[in-house]
Amino acid sequence: MSAKILTVDDSASIRLTTRVTLSNAGYAVTEAVDGLDGLNKLKAGEYDLVVTDLNMPNMDGLTMIRELRKLPAHTGVPVIFLTTESDGEIKAQAKAAGATGWLTKPFDPESLVKIAKKVLGK
Amino acid sequence: MNNPDPISVFRTEAAELLEQIESGLLDLTRSLEDRDQIDAVFRGLHTLKGSGAMFGFEALAAFTHHCETAFDRVRKGDVPATHELVSAVLSAQDHMRALLETPNGDHDAMSAALLDNLHRAVNGAGSPTPITTVIATNPVVEKAGGLREWRIRFSLPANAMANGTNPLGLLDEMRDLGDCRIIADTTKVPELATLDPRGIHLAWDVTLKTEKPRSDIEDVFIFVMDDMALEIMEVAVDPPATALVDMPVAKAVVVTEREAPAVQAANDSKQAKSAENVRVPAERLDEMMDRVGELVIAQSRLTQLAGTAADLGLRSVSEEIERLSGELRDTMMVLRMMPVASLFSRFRRLVHDLSRETGKEIELITEGESTEVDKTVIDRLADPLVHLVRNSIDHGLEQPEERLAAGKEAKGKVILSAHQTGGEVIITIKDDGRGINRERVRAKAEASGIIQPGATLTDQDLLQLIFQPGFSTAQTVTNLSGRGVGMDVVKKTVEALRGTIDITSKPGEGSTVALRIPLTLAIIEGLLVRVGQGCYVIPLSAVEECLELSLEDDLRSRGRSFISLRDSLVPFLRLRELFRTGTQPDPHQKVVVISTGSERVGLVVDQIIGDHQTVIKSMSKLHHDVVTFSGATILGDGSVALILDVTHLVAAGQQQEAQLRAAG
Amino acid sequence: MSEAARKIDYDAIWGEEEDLSVLTFNLNGETFAIEATVVQEILDLLPETHVPGSKPFVSSVINFRGKVIPLADIRLAFGMDATETTIDSRIVVIELDLDDEATLIGIRTDKVNEVTTLPRLASEPPPSVGMRWRADYISCLVKRGGEFIIVPNLHAIFSSQRDRTGTATAPN
Repeated sequence: MSAKILTVDDSASIRLTTRVTLSNAGYAVTEAVDGLDGLNKLKAGEYDLVVTDLNMPNMDGLTMIRELRKLPAHTGVPVIFLTTESDGEIKAQAKAAGATGWLTKPFDPESLVKIAKKVLGK
Repeated sequence: MNNPDPISVFRTEAAELLEQIESGLLDLTRSLEDRDQIDAVFRGLHTLKGSGAMFGFEALAAFTHHCETAFDRVRKGDVPATHELVSAVLSAQDHMRALLETPNGDHDAMSAALLDNLHRAVNGAGSPTPITTVIATNPVVEKAGGLREWRIRFSLPANAMANGTNPLGLLDEMRDLGDCRIIADTTKVPELATLDPRGIHLAWDVTLKTEKPRSDIEDVFIFVMDDMALEIMEVAVDPPATALVDMPVAKAVVVTEREAPAVQAANDSKQAKSAENVRVPAERLDEMMDRVGELVIAQSRLTQLAGTAADLGLRSVSEEIERLSGELRDTMMVLRMMPVASLFSRFRRLVHDLSRETGKEIELITEGESTEVDKTVIDRLADPLVHLVRNSIDHGLEQPEERLAAGKEAKGKVILSAHQTGGEVIITIKDDGRGINRERVRAKAEASGIIQPGATLTDQDLLQLIFQPGFSTAQTVTNLSGRGVGMDVVKKTVEALRGTIDITSKPGEGSTVALRIPLTLAIIEGLLVRVGQGCYVIPLSAVEECLELSLEDDLRSRGRSFISLRDSLVPFLRLRELFRTGTQPDPHQKVVVISTGSERVGLVVDQIIGDHQTVIKSMSKLHHDVVTFSGATILGDGSVALILDVTHLVAAGQQQEAQLRAAG
Repeated sequence: MSEAARKIDYDAIWGEEEDLSVLTFNLNGETFAIEATVVQEILDLLPETHVPGSKPFVSSVINFRGKVIPLADIRLAFGMDATETTIDSRIVVIELDLDDEATLIGIRTDKVNEVTTLPRLASEPPPSVGMRWRADYISCLVKRGGEFIIVPNLHAIFSSQRDRTGTATAPN
């Protein structure tokens, strides 16, 4: 069975690009429109990888990942940030909160697939 | 899977974001302290910037970046939200729409002016505008007190790129920290023959001047640190502030600017402000277009050669040149685009003069003047448009007393408008005059033998008769007519630009002539086919599909020349016969189905060779009688291929169909 | 064309000059000369692309330095037969003002001879009768040695070719 990936972004065009890129690479992709939606979907299902934006309405990506790590069943799921930010402080916060990788927008779809492959080990 | 086009999704999304931003800003004008709205506007700008950059709207992203930065400062409490700031961003937001709609337009001067405005609003009136310095996007340099110089050496594992690490991203992040000079260490790069192109063989040596702490530099590498070699050394402590302007730093700044798009954009705006435009003689532009065209041709030859060669080095250079020449071509296209305003502006005087000459009261309204089209289109459309406007005024608009009697305003209107849809620009000339008198058109056409007396014609066909050579409905010859070109020449000019001309008219209410012209003329995507010994190009935009002409279909259709395509019959033309090649048909002939709107025709060719970037060369005057071809192009081997005229071939196919239907 | 008009053509080519610098070439055994100033280049034979539906007089196009230009066979304008190309065959590229627009045209020749000077004294307008060819296609004849060199009226030749197609501006 193909690995399941959740993409969380408030931008429909970025979600589309992420979904198309990853599903073409053979992954099963689910979309969430902000941190809150993302968290709810993560609670409801099993995901092998989360690709998330940082700045989003309702709940930002950093809060989402901190909330996620509080849930015993989801401490291990890898999280990649996909964001326009490259500020060191925020990156450090993200790493501390348990982020696995960082990709800066605009991103090269190929890099996204490579990171996903690396993180998922296949 | 059929996914929507991300760019069109982005456009829709961006339009929604702009609405959100606008309504947030409008709410803020009522209560400046509304945190939720400040956050919402910031997020909107942030998303617009990020997605814009993702889908190639660089100018939009760079411009939005400044507004986002301004709102970020408001959000963090660095600067207060003021009415001045909100209205500066409101006008900036209108400009973002323009950047979204015409990303290739010439917006630099406008961007610069708006950003200037924004920076004044952020920094308070009277203070110098930081936009004029690179420092604005690089606040590090502002305080020289804590400035330190670091030497950073790092190398990545050879497989880092395969794992999704982009070294350029790391370098960009270091540039964000401060002035930096980057030297790539190439000593570990192996011989070409043994080089693995997917691996990283470079190491980097970076000299960075920043006041940020060491941990910030380490943070750049936070997600790759585990398996890389990284050395961070401090070089000099607290150099005097004047050291900022010493030569090496100044040079480093130049490198930084060139590499960082956001800074580059700010810089462009700055330059746009100091010297808004560079005037270039039109012929130099044409000359350059020719050179670019030749380059594209030479490049396709190189690609062909490299494709058959085993030399990997050659291939990679060839790919690089392919990319570069493609970009150069796109840039060239943008350079050639001009707003139609330059075309429309000359009509004010014309209308003024005509008003005096005819005694008619006329109001000229122009719309969509910022719509941009290829320079050649502007040049060639000038005369036909003059004629169409004259025609509207001369034949369309009534005398004031006649208008009043018909219950209209005494002043007649002529509306000249332009707008862009897809790859076309539509220019319309509309009047609210008496409309075209169909009876008189018919009588005139019958009298001059253009149509048979009593011929049945659709309304559109009847109206199109005015474009026939030698046609004129003017009852009295005013000194307006007879000057310049005739309506038939108008039509010919438009068709030569690969455009079409539509005419609608309501008796008593007025007429509208709409010219649909492709945006660029110089280069099209083409389908290269072989007929007999010769190669021909079919414009790809007209191609609907390609299919095999089976031997049975070929034989069966001998008499009637139709193929059934799904549920309908499509007439087809054997180009081999049309061109009298005198060759035997290829055993596996293909049918290329082309269309103009609803009308289709199949073209039987011997072989489909493939896609071809077609640089259009016009046919010489000596070949203007050959209507089958709209132009020519030069192929990779230097030989010439003719470009088929789709409109003409479809018409020929329809004619054949009509004859066969009449006969059958 | 009237006698007077031919006189004008004759004057047009000579103007005030006593000597005319020309390029001479051969077509079917006759020697032709065209003004050196209109000659752009002399080319070896190039791959030609036939233009289906065109007149035999300009039946193909060639790639001249990235431009697509027509290749004309003025033999056909003079009613001569087209001949096979030989090792000496060349294309002479000329630039001509047609409708105030500089137009490049390639001309087939059997052999290009030399750039030389023709003296006005040895020239005469084409006779209006007794010629095998249309007189208005000839600017003048220049006697040299035992033969006549033909200076064709390129404007007349190429303009009339266009007139026949009906694309030239029709009088209103």
